[in-house]
Formats: sequence, structure tokens, C-alpha cells
Amino acid sequence: MENTQTKSDIRVAQAPANVPNAEARVKSDLIPTLVVSALLILVIQIASFYVPSYIIPAPAEILKSAWQILSRDANHIFTTGIRLFIALFFAMGIGVLFGIIMGTLPKIRPYLRALVIIDTGIPALSWMLVAIFWFKEPEFRIFFILSVILIPFYALNIYDGIRALPKEWVDMIESFRPNRWQVLRYLVFPHIVPYIFLTTKSIVGYAIRMAIFAELVASAIGIGAQMNLAQSNFRIDQIFAWTLLLVIINLSLQAFVAMLEKIALRYRAEASVR
Amino acid sequence: MNASANSVIVMNGVSKAFGPHVVAKDLSISVSKGEIVALLGRTGAGKSTVLNMVMGNLRADSGTVRVAGLDPYGEFKKLRGKMAVSFQQDRLLPWRTAIENVELGLLILNISKAEARKTAKLWLARVNLADAEDKYVHELSGGMRQRVSLARALAVDPELVLLDESFSQLDHVTSKALRADFSKVAREFKKTCLFVTHRIEDAIEMADRVLVLRPGAGLCLEERVAANVREDEAARAALHDRIAAAMGDHGE
Ligand SMILES: Nc1ncnc2c1ncn2[C@@H]1O[C@H](COP(=O)(O)OP(=O)(O)OP(=O)(O)O)[C@@H](O)[C@H]1O
Ligand SMILES: [Mg+2]
Repeated sequence: MENTQTKSDIRVAQAPANVPNAEARVKSDLIPTLVVSALLILVIQIASFYVPSYIIPAPAEILKSAWQILSRDANHIFTTGIRLFIALFFAMGIGVLFGIIMGTLPKIRPYLRALVIIDTGIPALSWMLVAIFWFKEPEFRIFFILSVILIPFYALNIYDGIRALPKEWVDMIESFRPNRWQVLRYLVFPHIVPYIFLTTKSIVGYAIRMAIFAELVASAIGIGAQMNLAQSNFRIDQIFAWTLLLVIINLSLQAFVAMLEKIALRYRAEASVR
Repeated sequence: MNASANSVIVMNGVSKAFGPHVVAKDLSISVSKGEIVALLGRTGAGKSTVLNMVMGNLRADSGTVRVAGLDPYGEFKKLRGKMAVSFQQDRLLPWRTAIENVELGLLILNISKAEARKTAKLWLARVNLADAEDKYVHELSGGMRQRVSLARALAVDPELVLLDESFSQLDHVTSKALRADFSKVAREFKKTCLFVTHRIEDAIEMADRVLVLRPGAGLCLEERVAANVREDEAARAALHDRIAAAMGDHGE
């Protein structure tokens, strides 16, 4: 009896057997997310009764500010989004290139790897401050900051991905005597696609936070700059509203990447680990 | 030294060890053009290792290996388009459909996309997988994968075909049909083939010659399969027994 209890407890974490896994996971995640959100709103609501509104504003007030932001300051969201996309894709391109170089050119590998590793040790804040000294143009500052922060994630993960390439596949493709480019095209690129998605999924939230930070220190436009402004104007409702929007943006972006991943990796069998 | 101008594969006094573990010692094999040769031996006897040396993935510790007069390891790239391999494991690429996997070798040989598609279609039909063209690897059964892998090797139309247990993992009916198909194609187009198997029956049925490999040594049996053996039940049984004895009575 005890045993079956444990077993069914474990199964709760899993998709019902007759529904495709990923969809089921999204659905089963949705309800708890809504429950937790409702509870948070309730807590804020109750707290707002007891403390002044410049400490914790009522949810209705936050929503009103959020609506104002959306109708009046949507261009800032747009700007941040564009900056994020450009930097993310650039970092992806350079990171993948670095990863492939490290994975395929043993002579260059140790030097490039050392460079990347040292970069991971440099605090994001240092890059932000340095960027302000180095560049006048805010767009360039933000682009630079995001790039140097994000490139190592891609480079190291892609490098690991290439190292995980099964020797059997390499021998198989080599039996046809391909040139270097053909090995990259038919074997290495398709093999690292899952690693690119994995990296993107895991850093997209971090990238947004870093973009906001970078804007806060380096720019007058964008979500980070607007939050800075809200802070100087003592508009806590706006800070809460921006935060709310950021959470929504973050979750939608993650869902978006997950959707792209599902399309790109449709050749894979959904694994379910028991 | 029996390297007649007619030989496609010549291995002469080849030795190979992995660390202290000797896999082959003073091994000499030669396969002539148009010949189908079976390589037998118990598991771990070194059959796949021999194929690996012939295809140029492994370097012999000593002795010489020549394929079409070239050193397959040292002159690796020069054998482009000359040989194809069907490995013991299917080694299909999961992001490619069945037909795309068959196309792989053709595309690497710079054959046009349309031409490659046509040839791949033909070969998939030959291995009875015409209706599985667009399936991804995880949607195929083990036997289907093995057949795709065989089609991928044969589609490039190589002079030399190396097969590692390509028929052994299939059910009897499929395996028989495929063996018959393969023998027919190989003989018709004068393909040279070295195939590894642990099934004595398959070897007798398909091969012009059988070689039995003894672990850590050279060949312990090398015998031409006489034409009458396939019809004459007694002669066939006798050959079967000789091969089984050479393999150490572990074969069936
Ligand atoms: N890369 C390697 N490194 C170390 N040892 C190896 C390696 N490849 C093969 N061996 C060893 O060499 C021996 C022969 O292996 P091989 O794969 O050639 O056997 P086989 O005759 O093909 O066997 P099977 O019928 O099981 O496929 C085995 O003992 C194996 O452990
Ligand atoms: Mg083997």
C-alpha cells in the first residue's frame, strides 16, 4: 500500500500517458501558475490595506499604471525588445562560431577557451561601467554589454555539444570522404541546434535582466531607463507595473523559444523519464 | 605477397593491438575485384577492427593495407567515392528522414539534389521501405533502420562494399530476400564486397570465399565456396562443420 502511494506521487509530476508530453506539461503548469499569481495578488491587496500606497500600491493601481504604460510608453518596450533581439542573435552567431572553432580546431582551442573563460569571470557590472567610458552612443553601449555577457554561454555550450558528438557518426560520415564544409553542414550544424536552443532557453531570462540593467546605467530610453525615471519620481506603482510587464514579457519569450524549439526539433521522440 | 593487379583489398602481415590486447597478428587477406568474401569469427574476434582498417578509420600497427592500390588510412581522401560501409550499428542521423539519410552519401559526392532523391527512392524501394521514406529515425524499427543503413551504403554505387552484420539482425524472411537482392546486384554489377557475419549459413549462401578470423591471431580458415556446395546438402554440411570448428564451435 505504502509503495503504490509513493509511485502515484511520482506520477503526479508527469504527463498523463495519452496526451503528448510537452502540451500536457504546459497545461499542467498553467493552473499552478494561475493559482500562485492569484495568491500573490491577494497578498499585495491585503498588504496595501495596511501600508501606505508609496510602499505597496493596490493591485488595481498597478494595473492602471500598467495600462498607462502600454498605451503611452509602448515604444520603450519595443526599444528594449529590439536591443535584446539584436544582441541575442549577435551573441548567438559569435558564440556558435567560437564554439565550433573550439570544437574543431585543436590548435586554437586552448587560447579561445581561455579568453571565453576569463570573460565569464568578469562581473557584468564591470562591463557596464567600462562600456560607459568606452562608448558614447547608448545603443552601442548596450549592444556591447549584452554581447560580452552572452557570448560565453553560447561558446561553451556549443563546444560541449561538439565534444558530445558520437565518434560513430563521425566515422560514418567520413566513410564517404566529405570535405570540411560538408562535415559541418551535414553533421555538426544539425547536431548543435538542440544546444543552441538549450542555451537560449536558459539565458533568455538572464538576458532580459541584463538588458534592463544596461539601460538603467547606459541609456535614457528603454524599460530600464523608464524604471529609473519611475524611481526618481517616487512612482512605486509604475515600478510594480513595469515589473509585472517584465514578468509577462519574460514568460512569453520563453514560451516563444520553446515553441520554436519544438518545431525545429520535431524529429526527436519526446522522452519521458520515469 | 599476392597483390595481383586484380586485388581490391590487400592486407599483408597486418597486426593490430589495443594497448596490451592483441586483436590481429600477421593477418593477410586479399579480395579480388568482383569477389564477395565473408569474414567470420566469434564475437570479439576482431572482424569490425579489420573492416575499420580497410575503411581507413584505424591504422594498422604493422604490415600493409591497400585498397585499390591506396593506403586507406594515409591516403584517406583519395578513396572518395570508391567504397561504402554499412556499419554494425545503423548510425543513421536522427534529424534526417529515411530518404534523407540515404541521400547523404550522394550529396557528399556532389550529386545534384534531384538526382540524389531519385537514386535514394530507388534504393529505399529495393530494401522494401518505399512507404517509410519520410519517417524519422525514431519512427523506424531496428530492422528498418538496418535496411536504411544498407541502402545508404549501396546508393553511392561504390566499387567496394563493406558490410558489418548488415543481414544478421533482420528476421529470416527479410534477411533472405535482402541477401538475394544484394547478391544479385553485386554480381550483376561486379561489385567487390567484404561482409562480416557470425551466421555461417549466410556466409555459405552469399560468399565466393569464406575467411574465419581467430581472436588475437590471423586467419584460421580460408576456403573457396565451391559452386556445388549450395546444391549438395552433404558438401554444404561439411563446409558448415569446418567453419564452425574453425570458429571454435561457438557458431551455430
Ligand atoms: N577502439 C577500441 N579500443 C580498445 N579495444 C577495442 C577497440 N575496438 C575493439 N576493441 C577490442 O578489440 C577486440 C575485437 O573487437 P571487434 O569489434 O573487432 O570484434 P568483432 O569481431 O567485430 O565482434 P562482434 O562480432 O561482437 O562485433 C575486442 O576484444 C574489443 O574489445
Ligand atoms: Mg563487430
